[in-house]
Amino acid sequence: MSIVRDIASVAKGMSITFKEMFEPTQVENYPDGPGPMHGAQFEERFRGQHVLQRDENGLEKCVACFLCAAACPANCIYIEAAENTAEQRISSAERYAKVYNIDYNRCIFCGYCVEACPTDAITHGHGFELASLNATSLVMRKEQLLTAMPAQPTTPTLPK
Amino acid sequence: MADVTLTVDGKKITAPAGTLLIDACRKAGIEIPAFCYYPGLSLQAACRMCVVRIEKIPKLQTACTTPVAEGMIVATDTDEIKQSRKAMLQLVLANHPLDCPVCDAGGECELQDMTFKYGAADSNFVDVKNHREEQQWSPVVYFDRPRCILCYRCVRVCGEGMDVWALGVQNRGVSSVIAPNGGDHLDCEECGMCIDICPVGALTSDTYRYKTRPWEMTHVSTICTHCGDGCKTTLGLRSSSDGMEIIRGDNRDKSGINGDFLCVKGRYAFDFANHKDRLTQPLLRNAEGKLVPASWEEALTFAGQRLHEIRDTRGGEQIGVIGSNRATNEESYLLQKFARSVLGTNNIDHHRTADYVSFAKALAGQEQRAASLREAETAPAILLIGGDPTEQHPMLAWNLRTNVRHNRARIYVVNHQEIKLRRQATSFLKISAENYSAFTRFLAGEENSIFGAEATALRETLATEPNLLVIFGSELRGAAIEALVRYGLSLPDTKFACLGDYVNSRGAADMGLYPDMLPGYVPVQQPGAFATEYGERFPAAPGLDLPSMLDVAARGNLAALYVVGSNPVHRYGVAAASLKNTFLIVQDMFLTETALLADVVLPIANLYEKAGTVTNTYGDLQLVRKAADRAGVRTDLELIVRLADTMGADVHALVPFGQGTRADMGQSRGAQSGEADRHAVWLAAQNLEPKLSPFDPSALLDEIQRLIPSYSFSRLELFAGNDQHVQATSKNNALVQISNLSQRPDGVLPSMDTLFTSGTMGRYSSKLTEVHDSRNKEILVAAN
Repeated sequence: MSIVRDIASVAKGMSITFKEMFEPTQVENYPDGPGPMHGAQFEERFRGQHVLQRDENGLEKCVACFLCAAACPANCIYIEAAENTAEQRISSAERYAKVYNIDYNRCIFCGYCVEACPTDAITHGHGFELASLNATSLVMRKEQLLTAMPAQPTTPTLPK
Repeated sequence: MADVTLTVDGKKITAPAGTLLIDACRKAGIEIPAFCYYPGLSLQAACRMCVVRIEKIPKLQTACTTPVAEGMIVATDTDEIKQSRKAMLQLVLANHPLDCPVCDAGGECELQDMTFKYGAADSNFVDVKNHREEQQWSPVVYFDRPRCILCYRCVRVCGEGMDVWALGVQNRGVSSVIAPNGGDHLDCEECGMCIDICPVGALTSDTYRYKTRPWEMTHVSTICTHCGDGCKTTLGLRSSSDGMEIIRGDNRDKSGINGDFLCVKGRYAFDFANHKDRLTQPLLRNAEGKLVPASWEEALTFAGQRLHEIRDTRGGEQIGVIGSNRATNEESYLLQKFARSVLGTNNIDHHRTADYVSFAKALAGQEQRAASLREAETAPAILLIGGDPTEQHPMLAWNLRTNVRHNRARIYVVNHQEIKLRRQATSFLKISAENYSAFTRFLAGEENSIFGAEATALRETLATEPNLLVIFGSELRGAAIEALVRYGLSLPDTKFACLGDYVNSRGAADMGLYPDMLPGYVPVQQPGAFATEYGERFPAAPGLDLPSMLDVAARGNLAALYVVGSNPVHRYGVAAASLKNTFLIVQDMFLTETALLADVVLPIANLYEKAGTVTNTYGDLQLVRKAADRAGVRTDLELIVRLADTMGADVHALVPFGQGTRADMGQSRGAQSGEADRHAVWLAAQNLEPKLSPFDPSALLDEIQRLIPSYSFSRLELFAGNDQHVQATSKNNALVQISNLSQRPDGVLPSMDTLFTSGTMGRYSSKLTEVHDSRNKEILVAAN
């Protein structure tokens, strides 16, 4: 009897195997998939490489308040602030971040910086292919983190 | 006054009658919030944050204006009071912009703290906030009107505290606004007290504007490097690519001798340290006669070998040494020891700004007669002869004004100029500049027809003052000081203070940067213990003073000159050609007029970049803590020791380091396990480092304390950051007869600095220069 029982259980197991063989694939085909994500699929809330946002006028949202750096448990954000002038306006408030570096050697993608930001300037994007053989390239500058300018940048015009 | 007992929140507390309730509570550890109340200033009762419930009084009362009374029963922590405070905050916040992320006060704002505490985060007001553009009132002061909460602290500190009255209030009630009395700009001393005292970010400073946030900086409190008052300034530091950069200076740590006060120099004139012309590499003069960068090894070896050669071939008397008014006590002491025991010369001097030698001589044998800066705030009567404290000793002027305001002190001003302090004075006597000496003799009783009835009346009044504090400026020297001190000693319990110009002018004098005086004003002719301490090269005869050294150099008879942190070429107007036959070594931060002529230039650290002690002009000894750091510079202490080493001198004899105690070099360090040297960390924390390094200033402090009897002070207090008053002389000095001192030239050259200048260093402070220029422009405009 035991032989019959053994064959039955093998057949039961193999029936699942053969059934699944003809079902559509469930796994992500990363990194051989199509598109810029190479087949990776993310939830909206995925915390990837940061993106520094711009406002509707194309000005940087970051006002260099240092709250993200203060909130950062890994101490990986470095900021130098500077004042906006009438000739050169970078952000909409009085000051802007002249230097904004994130050290991805240290970043733990906890999202505290995003939570701390009072102007919603720093957000988590979906950039995730950060691995590098050169650690220095993991310190990303503001230029690398900023979102692209809108297609047609509108410089704010002050009322005359 | 008699004590009264009252009950606050069920707790019995006792306070002297007349104390304000808010002070009594705070002293007992019961916190009462307040914006407008500031200890020492007049009462305002504007913010209504300090309201408390006092039994049997129908309405809530302001604790800041209510004096304590016997049997008073007070509640400070009820729901009613919390609700009232929360409502007050909501009113304050009704028009306060929520721009904390970009506000410079964010993180150290009293309004933020209180809102956090009382939870007034929600607002019942729906109206749009009233926005106004930010205004710049002066080179250092910005005003953001909507942030202002109308506590009037700035108005009071500017008027009462500084006696400047540059700020006022326009309009009434809800439309009140703080405004400069000078229209659109401040007509003031740029002290920045209004910025410091502002509880919010309404008044902000230009130097710190949008640079960083308070929590991003390391804060180190050290002694300001400018005038002779030696205030404590807190430097905010951030690491930069070449060390630690000073971002701001302020009075965050109010534990110093200066209390609440800090002037324009202490607050803004730190920027010379970040000046672009700062030297960070040694320079050597090459065959073409140009100064070119060299390595430290090259420069020190070259300088040391040349000095060695000159000493052995032409003798120590052909070498001159000029010390600094801004170096620490340890460095000044080491410099003169190096000159006397290694170079074998007594040709050592510094730019003298006051005649401390005559002062010490006049006070010889007396004890506790030299006054501390603190006593200017408590003395019942002050005689101020010469000097201009408002311009040159702002902290002293602050103390004197406070003393008049709080204690109704009597100040008798005698001056050749109409100095500003006469406004607080009981009497002001104008004498001509050449009559100071005659006036001191007149005080002592010598009749003189040039002084009229006013002077005689002053003399009679002074005779009735039992606890007089006599403060005199650098106009008085030599015999005049002696006459004045002799006169003062004839009155009961008189104390004295002598005003010199720079942070360690007094220290340089105490440490013996004189050709004829050893540390502690011991004459070279009677060296006592120093004869054996300083070895066989120590010359018996006094050396040349600074002007004589320059004269001898001009005649081509000075083989070498070693200048440490001083600019004698500019100060004494020396012709460039007169130093061409002299081997010149200059240690300085910049290529000054003197450094330009040097054969070797060694870049040094300033007072903010090293540790040690300094003595202010009143004799208050304070600890200097290393705050900033700059790659490429060395301290004077290190350079003197290394120079001595390249000359083949015994460094152990020069600096008593590494004697006795041995640090644990490895047993507990566990380099493999990556552990810190706990033993060394503990020793450092207890200020018990074993002085293993020849560059450790505390090793020299040991020697200073051992050899200068008047430098007896508590190390515990000193290292805890408190000021320690040292006397100019000790009782032992009475035994030493100083002969022919009356013929000795005092050699004093007052620097004539104002609030906005600070010797050569001041020229390299861009903020100070900017303020100075803008002030001159205003004066020009006013004149036209």
